[in-house]
Amino acid sequence: MSALSVPGVRRRGRGDRSAPLFAGPVVLLAGLFLVLPMGLALVFSLTEIAPLSGKVGWVGLTNFATMAADPTFFRSLLNTALFALVTVPGSMAIGLALALLMNSVLPARPLFRTVVYLPLVISGVAVGLIGSLLFNETSGVLRALALTFGLPVVPWQSSGPAAFASVVLITLWIRVGFCMIIYLAALQAVPPELHEAAQVEGASGWQRFRHVTLPLLGPATFFLLIMSVIYSFNVFDTVFVLTGGGPGSATEVLGTYAYDTAFGPARDQGYGAAIGVVVFVLTMAFTLVQWRRSRAARDGAL
Amino acid sequence: MIDRRRLLLGGAGLGAAALSGCAGFTGQTGQDGEAPQGQTTLTFVNWSGDAEKAAFDALISRFEQANPDIRVETQTVPYADISTNIDSRFQAGDPPDLFRVSYIDIGLYTSQGVLLDLSETIGARSGDFVPGLYEAVVVDQVPYGVPHQIDTTAVLYRTDAFEAAGITDVPTGLDQAWSWEELAEVADRLKGVTGSDQYPFVYNWQAAGAYRWLSWLFQAGGALLTPGLDAAAIASEEGRRAVQFTQRFFTEEWVARNTSTKATTYASDEFVAGAAAMAFVGDFSLPTIDAGVDFEYGVLPMPRDVESASDLGGNAVVAAAEGPNTEAAARFCAFIAEQEQMRTYCEATGQLPTLTALTETELAFEVRPDLMPTFVEQATTLTAEQVRQVTVPAFGRINALLGDELEQAFLGGRDAAATVDALAAAVDGALG
Amino acid sequence: MVATVPTRGLTVVDARAHTARTPGRPGRRRVGWTLRVVAAVLVAVVMVFPLWVMLVTAFSSGSAYSQTLRLWPSEPTLGNFTRVFAAWPVGSWFANSVAVAGVTTVLSVAVSLTGGFAFAKLRWVGRTPVFLLLLATMMIPTQAILVPQFRLVSSLGLVGTFWAVILPGAAATFGIFLARQFLMAIPTELVEAARVDGASTPRVFWSIVLPLCRPLVAVLTLLALMYQWNDFLWPLIVLRDPALFTLPIGLQFLQGQYLTDYGALMAMTLLATAPLVVLFLVFQRYFVQGLATTGLR
Repeated sequence: MSALSVPGVRRRGRGDRSAPLFAGPVVLLAGLFLVLPMGLALVFSLTEIAPLSGKVGWVGLTNFATMAADPTFFRSLLNTALFALVTVPGSMAIGLALALLMNSVLPARPLFRTVVYLPLVISGVAVGLIGSLLFNETSGVLRALALTFGLPVVPWQSSGPAAFASVVLITLWIRVGFCMIIYLAALQAVPPELHEAAQVEGASGWQRFRHVTLPLLGPATFFLLIMSVIYSFNVFDTVFVLTGGGPGSATEVLGTYAYDTAFGPARDQGYGAAIGVVVFVLTMAFTLVQWRRSRAARDGAL
Repeated sequence: MIDRRRLLLGGAGLGAAALSGCAGFTGQTGQDGEAPQGQTTLTFVNWSGDAEKAAFDALISRFEQANPDIRVETQTVPYADISTNIDSRFQAGDPPDLFRVSYIDIGLYTSQGVLLDLSETIGARSGDFVPGLYEAVVVDQVPYGVPHQIDTTAVLYRTDAFEAAGITDVPTGLDQAWSWEELAEVADRLKGVTGSDQYPFVYNWQAAGAYRWLSWLFQAGGALLTPGLDAAAIASEEGRRAVQFTQRFFTEEWVARNTSTKATTYASDEFVAGAAAMAFVGDFSLPTIDAGVDFEYGVLPMPRDVESASDLGGNAVVAAAEGPNTEAAARFCAFIAEQEQMRTYCEATGQLPTLTALTETELAFEVRPDLMPTFVEQATTLTAEQVRQVTVPAFGRINALLGDELEQAFLGGRDAAATVDALAAAVDGALG
Repeated sequence: MVATVPTRGLTVVDARAHTARTPGRPGRRRVGWTLRVVAAVLVAVVMVFPLWVMLVTAFSSGSAYSQTLRLWPSEPTLGNFTRVFAAWPVGSWFANSVAVAGVTTVLSVAVSLTGGFAFAKLRWVGRTPVFLLLLATMMIPTQAILVPQFRLVSSLGLVGTFWAVILPGAAATFGIFLARQFLMAIPTELVEAARVDGASTPRVFWSIVLPLCRPLVAVLTLLALMYQWNDFLWPLIVLRDPALFTLPIGLQFLQGQYLTDYGALMAMTLLATAPLVVLFLVFQRYFVQGLATTGLR
């Protein structure tokens, strides 16, 4: 983390007196609305909160014991992991392929690029609604498309795997643009001289990609991995609107389950907080492991 | 540089303008500020379809005419979000003065002592209400709301589909209701008669409607809870029979697979869309359906097994116990329970009244009055025991669990015995 | 992960195509070019298709339950828009979204700029640990803190007001990270020189640093706007009065009211999406830079 020890304005004494003025607002806001709630989440995960009155009662580890025996929780955990496992490499691979394509000679290249990242600015709710227009089993666009071309009709809503696939597909739709942007930026930073040198030595296109380009994409890949995993573990809006977690629990993810538990008919905010804590711990653990791995891989170069 | 400063100041100015101009920053909405001295504004949170909204608006304007010192401000939220919405207002210490609550959710609120005691207004008229329905709002002899209306399910059918399938023997009264096997025969004959995509029927157990499955349990002679209402009674022969029969809806493709309990599609919608030849729907859906269809349809009663049964839909209007406007809220509750007001509301919305005086007279329903007698007759199959089972405090939770467990039987292929056992365990868990 | 984020993100991405310079046999190059164009067109069609059907549905009249493929509005109409506008306070939702997203953006940009300055250019005790803590908050999932944040906001008496959305929204820490990264690239000598002339720290910030921050402000503003305009889960929990809904909650509300009436739903989806799409098309350069520098959640 040497990047953090960048020299600032050097002053004698214990530091700049107006530092609190400048750092204060953001520290206060983040402390009050992010750090404090995270601490409170740990506390509330050990309590039972009465619906309506909000009275708090200490229950120790009961919520975590409930969780250990809760099949829906494990289903959501599994679904979330599976979702991340498919969408993270999927969006990154497609993003890289698109970045390579969009970095090559193409007519109307800016237009093509714009089209790929346009879905990024659409809200999760809107994406979910557009998804339901596409995937509706009785009146959806994809059904009409399948009938027109004589293809088999997919039960997007009533079959668990198909519903899961619908969530994955719509997620890829909005995520590939982000991966493409990052990879495109990284590709453009690859010095052309490297490619020219490799070419002079007779390297094929694939060899140049494999041995020149790919190694230089490491930092971008790491960044995308972290960002995409955080996104995947947080996924809520799209699932909530598109499938509501169904059919059954086929598309239930930790986000929707935590919300339903705390604010849905179960009205169990203590348990909801406990689920939230688990999501946080998993996200944090993954990030730290990745960070250490990436640091080890580059031998502390950063 | 000056530009930049101006930009920043402009931004701040924009913020300030938004602050002063927008009520959302203070949380005060409506025309509070314009209200004359001494006028009370009641907040009424409800959900409603188009016909209901119009009927509530009319009801409110009559109330405001009769009570010039009170204004009622309606906040309409989606049915699916109503409990979440109300609960968080309570938790934030800012409950609405009035809200609409379904019978299946009311138990939670009455059990927590957060509702206004209406003994002096509604309680004084307890004898006027249909007894089983009055009990739904009562805990320890105290009424906590107005049993405003009920609705119940019957079966709508497309006449063209019935003609095409050669079904001429259509039951009109309860005494002629089909048996389960007769329903099965009809369903088999209806498959695809008026369109390759048309299913024989659609059942209205989606969208927090899982409790409507209980009609089958009750028809089979079963019960959800023990008479003491403290344990599940569903792991029974009747329970298994009901699960088995309703599973056949899916295995024999009488209903579309995307119309299960947790589906995001709705029965009335599917019927209007022409995706089903018959629809099990509540009377409250009639105005919406009638405005949407382009085909002829009729009505027939719910099928019967050892019993006739349908579901208790319907809603109460309740007031929060704490707040500055409880006196005005109580007046509103009393007003909507007046015979004339209830009659007008029900006639406009295709819903059924809770006052005995009105159940004994014929109402002039605005939409398809020819179909309503079947619903009215169907409502007589509701029993007080059944009403008690679906209004226990934990029922909101039980309803959600019913949806989860039934979907596993319908789409996940879990067998009936395992399903009723899982249901019993889930219900016992919810009862605590 | 701090140091690995591409810092060049704030420099305008210059689209030079390296492959253009690589020699090769002309025939193969032409085949490759054709294949690439075909691939790009296919990708574009797939990416645009969902948006296209949204548009078509929003402007189509008639039955919402079309069983046949409709790729062009059959009888173009604004009926879907007028119908929803007549029934629900869509105009207020739009205004609410503008107000909430606007104020949150102004606040979050302001605290990001000052905070970024403090972390990049000022020396004070605890600077590094506090920064690391702020960085870690980027990893806090919304649903992990729903319950405590709701209780907190409700004990502050903010539930049911825009402040319940604005204040936690202004705490979005990605902005701090971005601002610090940008400000570190400003030569310290510039700041030092002003100091020597006797300028106070606020004066240095206002007259020396801020004028150099134009691209940063653009990126922060656009990212904050995009995030706040689309935010759903938290406003869903704290804004209870339909008159105070923002567009995403309004959209979900309409989903509950209109079910599968896709004409109405897509009309409103279009309405909620259009402002950002237009903004995106106009300021695409800044969006791309911002996105290249930070993640979207």
